[in-house]
Amino acid sequence: MTVAPIAPVQGVLPTSYVTGVDTGAAPVAGTDGSAFATSLTGAVDNLQQLQSTSNQLAVSAVTGNLDDIHNATLAATRAQVTLELMATVRNKGVDAFNEIMRMQA
Amino acid sequence: MTFDMIGIAGSALTVHRKWLDAVSDNLANMNNASATSGPAFQARYVEAAEGSEGSGIYVKSTQLGSAEGRIVYQPDHPLADANGNVKYPEIDMAEQMGALIIAQRGYQANAQVVDRARETYMAALEIGRS
Repeated sequence: MTVAPIAPVQGVLPTSYVTGVDTGAAPVAGTDGSAFATSLTGAVDNLQQLQSTSNQLAVSAVTGNLDDIHNATLAATRAQVTLELMATVRNKGVDAFNEIMRMQA
Repeated sequence: MTFDMIGIAGSALTVHRKWLDAVSDNLANMNNASATSGPAFQARYVEAAEGSEGSGIYVKSTQLGSAEGRIVYQPDHPLADANGNVKYPEIDMAEQMGALIIAQRGYQANAQVVDRARETYMAALEIGRS
């Protein structure tokens, strides 16, 4: 009896609900199974950038160097939503992994 | 085509903040007397324009109102001319107060949009979680 090989995990497409930020990782069809990892790393980098922007704006806001306070709060909101998205995607990935680990003949 | 809800609302918040600044400036200088030979204080108006490709709104320019002013007879005023006239800016207080309220409400509306956008995204992330 032959068992068909399992197709590698396909890359996820960027959500693009935060535009204007280069996600860095262009998802490619997973031929070697590393596309999902690349997407995840790109998303983490993106999140890191958003959070550092948010931090800089928060410092500017409290030191009085910011004309528009809402720029700081908007950046914080953006970073928070993106963090939630990241966490959700990671949890889903871990869930899938655990599910595979539980498989039995 | 995707729209960046938070970014659009942010651009509108900036425009309304600038409008509020302009109204504040107009109200602050509303009672400036000046000599009839010179220009009166000119009201400042914000010209907003739609951003390209659904990117929201931006302040295109600020325009200045008339320097004509209204002539008031105040012979005791130190700036009065030979006929006893001084010039006051032509700024309608009621109009500026109206603009103040509209600008504030606009700002609040767009701040609400940001909150709703956040709630919407959070709801999307809740799909299939339990």
